[in-house]
Amino acid sequence: MSHIIESHNLSKVYNPDTIPVNAVNGVNLQVEEGEFTALVGPSGSGKTTLLNLIGGLDYPTGGSVKIEGVDITQMKENKLIDFRLKNIGFVFQAYNLIPVLTASENVEFVMLLQKTGKSEREQRAIELLTEVGLKDKLNKRPSELSGGQQQRVAVARALASKPRFILADEPTANLDSKSTENLLEIMAKLNVEDKMTFIFSTHDQRVIDKARRVVTLVDGKIVSDVKQ
Amino acid sequence: MNMLFKIAWRNIWRNRTRSVVVIASVAVGLFAGMFMMAFFQGAINQEIQSTVETQLSHIQFHNPAFIADKDVNFTIGDGPAIIGRLKKDAGVKAVSGRLVTTGMISSSSTAAGVEIHGVVAEDEKAVSTISKDIIEGSYFTGKKNEIVIGEKLAIKLGVKLHNKIVLTFQSKTGDLTAGSFRIAGIFRSRNSAFDQTTVFTGFDDLAALLGTGNGIHEIAVMLKDGQKTDAFDRTLKKEYPTLLVQSWTELSPQMALLTGIMDQMMYIIIGIILLALMFGIINTMLMAVLERQREFGMLMAIGMNKPRVFFMILLESVMLTCAGIPVGILFTIITVGSLSRHGIDLSGFSQALSQYGFSNIIYPALQQSMFLPVSLMTAFTAVLSAIYPAIKALRFKPAEAIHKI
Repeated sequence: MSHIIESHNLSKVYNPDTIPVNAVNGVNLQVEEGEFTALVGPSGSGKTTLLNLIGGLDYPTGGSVKIEGVDITQMKENKLIDFRLKNIGFVFQAYNLIPVLTASENVEFVMLLQKTGKSEREQRAIELLTEVGLKDKLNKRPSELSGGQQQRVAVARALASKPRFILADEPTANLDSKSTENLLEIMAKLNVEDKMTFIFSTHDQRVIDKARRVVTLVDGKIVSDVKQ
Repeated sequence: MNMLFKIAWRNIWRNRTRSVVVIASVAVGLFAGMFMMAFFQGAINQEIQSTVETQLSHIQFHNPAFIADKDVNFTIGDGPAIIGRLKKDAGVKAVSGRLVTTGMISSSSTAAGVEIHGVVAEDEKAVSTISKDIIEGSYFTGKKNEIVIGEKLAIKLGVKLHNKIVLTFQSKTGDLTAGSFRIAGIFRSRNSAFDQTTVFTGFDDLAALLGTGNGIHEIAVMLKDGQKTDAFDRTLKKEYPTLLVQSWTELSPQMALLTGIMDQMMYIIIGIILLALMFGIINTMLMAVLERQREFGMLMAIGMNKPRVFFMILLESVMLTCAGIPVGILFTIITVGSLSRHGIDLSGFSQALSQYGFSNIIYPALQQSMFLPVSLMTAFTAVLSAIYPAIKALRFKPAEAIHKI
């Protein structure tokens, strides 16, 4: 199997000049295509920072991140934005949908940024929202959807750009157990059927139980890496 | 691109009250600016109209030498023939030949310097509105040695209707000559300075005292369409190269200058209003951007590049601001449209206004040609106002911004 993500000696130090905090400290991580990986660890262990670095949302203070062999830590900001658009899907803890757009418009928006044609956009948005079980909520704005529904729209949006992998930062943290179950099922189905690679940070035991690989971080270091 | 317009437009209405306040500020600011412009333009138009109708007419003919030193010997050669030709012109409304000299007017108690106009009453009535400004007596009755004077001058001289006064001036031969005149009418025009310094006598009476015979010092021409003054002026200048033919803008350059200055002043006033508005728009846009830090972080995270983010904020600012433009213009059209018919009564300031030749009732003149430049200036202000908030948004780091509450 090829490595879709490779980090080498990756580190991130906050406040290097005052009170240095080693949020990520020399992490070496390889993720293969089709993985369903959970990053776990206590609060402040560096899960979100590691996801940000892998996703190109932040620059490391040391080491490198290669996505399919391309070192994204050397990219300029504008190029990195474009790289994210084409290669990475994001699901955030607080859903982070565009509040003034409907569910289908939110999904279409990413494709619009990719300059996909209107009819293709509309069709794919319907397909994706159907896939996450929101066919009847296409024209609802985020404020008219429950937390679980919003997060499913976020998953559909992450898939819209046909990314190489999806990074999800505590995707179930704000959801009730039924919504969590529902979301996990969708993510697992996409992983199995579409071979979509998922990496998510989580505290949630139900999510950890579903993961096929669990990477545990403590103080910015990987302390265990278990396939289950 | 449509989606960006959609997002920008919907974002404006996320905080309805704040947006309405900005839109109202733009509308009121534009209304205030355009109303002021309409008011001043109306006052100036009236001033010009009044000056043209009472003093200048559209075009005047003189002997060039007469203008230089006002010597009564310099009459217009073949004046009656020119008047005859002009009266036949289809574009000419009326023509009046005048004698003009300066002299002294004396009553039993005092004296004053005046400009004396010898006029043919019937011709002058068609050229000048002074005959309509008579408040006592009449504009000549046909008797010999009648004079029409302004109310201010009558008060100054302490004379009343039908009183006698004496005019003293230099005749054609250079001798001092005097004539006794009876006051046939007293007028009150919009311009009190004019009323105090100008008197009218019969043409023949003045010609007899001056010894100028059929000679004419000034031919005043009123056109049917005042807008064609420049074209007529050019034609007549070519036709009568030896005479001094002048349009009202040449006769009263200060009046023409006033019109030019007004245009510039209007832009300055609008500019100041927009500058003040700009700070309001910057404040609103900055608040909108800072409130949505997380959203901008997310947009950049999922792949919205910086030029697009910049453009979206620019669009929001322009849409927000431009929404106020039609409201402001509509309000101006309604208000100025109504006031241009009914006028604004400023009787409380009548004395001051009269000294400068302004009317008591000002009829604002709507400047439709200003709508486009004013709208463009406002849109440009919106673009300028968006720059700082947009730069602020571009500085957000996605990883940090996403987690802002």
